[in-house]
Amino acid sequence: MTDWKRPGDPLVIGGKRLLSRLFLGTGRFPSPAVLQQALAASGSEVVTFAVRRVNLDEVEDDSVLQHFADRELTYLPNTSGAANADEAVRIAMLARAAGLGSWIKVEISANSRTLLPDPVETLKATERLVKEGFTVLPYTSDDPILCKRLEEAGASAVMPGGAPIGTGLGILNPYNIGLIAEEAGVPIIVDAGIGSAVDVVQALELGASGILVNTPVAKAQDPAAMAAAMRMAVEAGRLAYLAGRIPKKRYASASSMEEGVSKPTIQAAGTKDNPAYAGAAPAAGAGLPAAAAERGV
Amino acid sequence: MKRDWKDFQLYVITGENYHPGRPVTDVMEQALLGGADVVQLRSKDAPKRELLAQAYALRELTRRYGVPLIVNDHIDIALAVEADGVHLGQEDLPLAEARSILGPGKIIGISTHSIGQALEAQAAGADYIGVGPVYPTGTKPGRKAVTTSYVKEAAGQVAIPFVAIGGITLDNVDDVLEAGARRICAVSAVVGSEDAAGTCRAFLHKIRAKQTEAAPAAAIEVRLNGRPERTTSRSVAEMIGQLGLAGKRIVVEMNGAIVAREAWETTKIEEGAALELVHFVGGG
Repeated sequence: MTDWKRPGDPLVIGGKRLLSRLFLGTGRFPSPAVLQQALAASGSEVVTFAVRRVNLDEVEDDSVLQHFADRELTYLPNTSGAANADEAVRIAMLARAAGLGSWIKVEISANSRTLLPDPVETLKATERLVKEGFTVLPYTSDDPILCKRLEEAGASAVMPGGAPIGTGLGILNPYNIGLIAEEAGVPIIVDAGIGSAVDVVQALELGASGILVNTPVAKAQDPAAMAAAMRMAVEAGRLAYLAGRIPKKRYASASSMEEGVSKPTIQAAGTKDNPAYAGAAPAAGAGLPAAAAERGV
Repeated sequence: MKRDWKDFQLYVITGENYHPGRPVTDVMEQALLGGADVVQLRSKDAPKRELLAQAYALRELTRRYGVPLIVNDHIDIALAVEADGVHLGQEDLPLAEARSILGPGKIIGISTHSIGQALEAQAAGADYIGVGPVYPTGTKPGRKAVTTSYVKEAAGQVAIPFVAIGGITLDNVDDVLEAGARRICAVSAVVGSEDAAGTCRAFLHKIRAKQTEAAPAAAIEVRLNGRPERTTSRSVAEMIGQLGLAGKRIVVEMNGAIVAREAWETTKIEEGAALELVHFVGGG
């Protein structure tokens, strides 16, 4: 057996080497314990979470961070809830003040139904946060030109959505994701819209460098098992991408060579019991005598 | 960084017989989510090995929530699992002996049933005392209730933290607070509840409401997370402590500028200040 693993294939973002290409969101898990299990099963080294006002009526509703205390993780707080660049920058500043490092996922939605990212404000926020010294990972629509602009603005990775957040619709525009990945000079992390492992494999095969998932894991019937499936899908997709897929063709091309095809030489006449040609009869073992005869047995 | 454990308000003790079929860690996690700020492992009848396993599990859990774990009676188990302290009854090992085994860094709590025992424990170096049972309770059958009059005495004479315990429920806790208790311990009312987290929240709400009522004089008006609030806190640190947020990983913004944690102590809150308290919650 050959060893297919490629230890020399890390994902590098903002100077940080990551062995896992799967980023995990931490929302909507049924309990902190399940989140912990899913996190362990995912092998993720990067987790994302949101910044919110403390609920002063239920002060006990404590931070998600307490559940990561024992793990070595890169924190990627997000600016979800921000409606424009100003709000996103403010949230990023608050997160950095907490001593969580300086990675920030820019997430600016201007439409509460689709939660689609606001491209203009996302670009503005990216520019400003890069100037402030953040490692910026903008969540953006799957527009190839916009992704390029974000890269030029200094984003350390660009995170186009596969479909609207939480829909599980998969990658709605594989053409765009493929083009974005092909053109990119920074890692492309497909974020949002992933439904299951199959979408993950597709994204990686299209050339994405990684995946960010939350809902499909948190809301799966067995979140830890789905997290493990996502991990394996990322590995499978990445490996397939590196291995190089065949081009798609319109017509068949045989996978066995054509010379030396074994053709029956006995033209057996039909009998009463076995009216058809023996080699093609559906009865079990019916082909055997003919093949055996040919081999001279 | 962590809140001083002495500021605790709600002390919850395990009582497995009150939640048959549910693991003790699940119930205690609910209590912690509800804001319990001290957890005691108590099981009079459990085999020691079982108790040890529970102690390890609760140690892991309470560490995650940054809450002290106290082990009832068993000093050896407390040491084995690196609990924060022990709780001893009047008939257990004397305080001085326990202290010499545990060392100065551990918390030692003593059950007391009269002001005489309270002052004795205080003099002997107890870190806190239990005052009770205030009402008759199933966890200490046969023990005569000390009533709120002992709570009143303790409030007047005891300098170390004391926690009122014994038969306290959401129905009678107001009387206990009225008598001067600032810290409440509950067992069956919490762990026997279908919604331990909600019950803890309700207890804390009552405890805090009593505190605010006790010090209304110098309150100033501020805007806290978008709504008007009155507070007696004069510094950011004080306010965070009063809100029960001292041990939590939060960020404070005042009048639009982030207040670094190191500056909480020295940053004054003026009348009309706008404060934003944020923390980090699950999200994608």
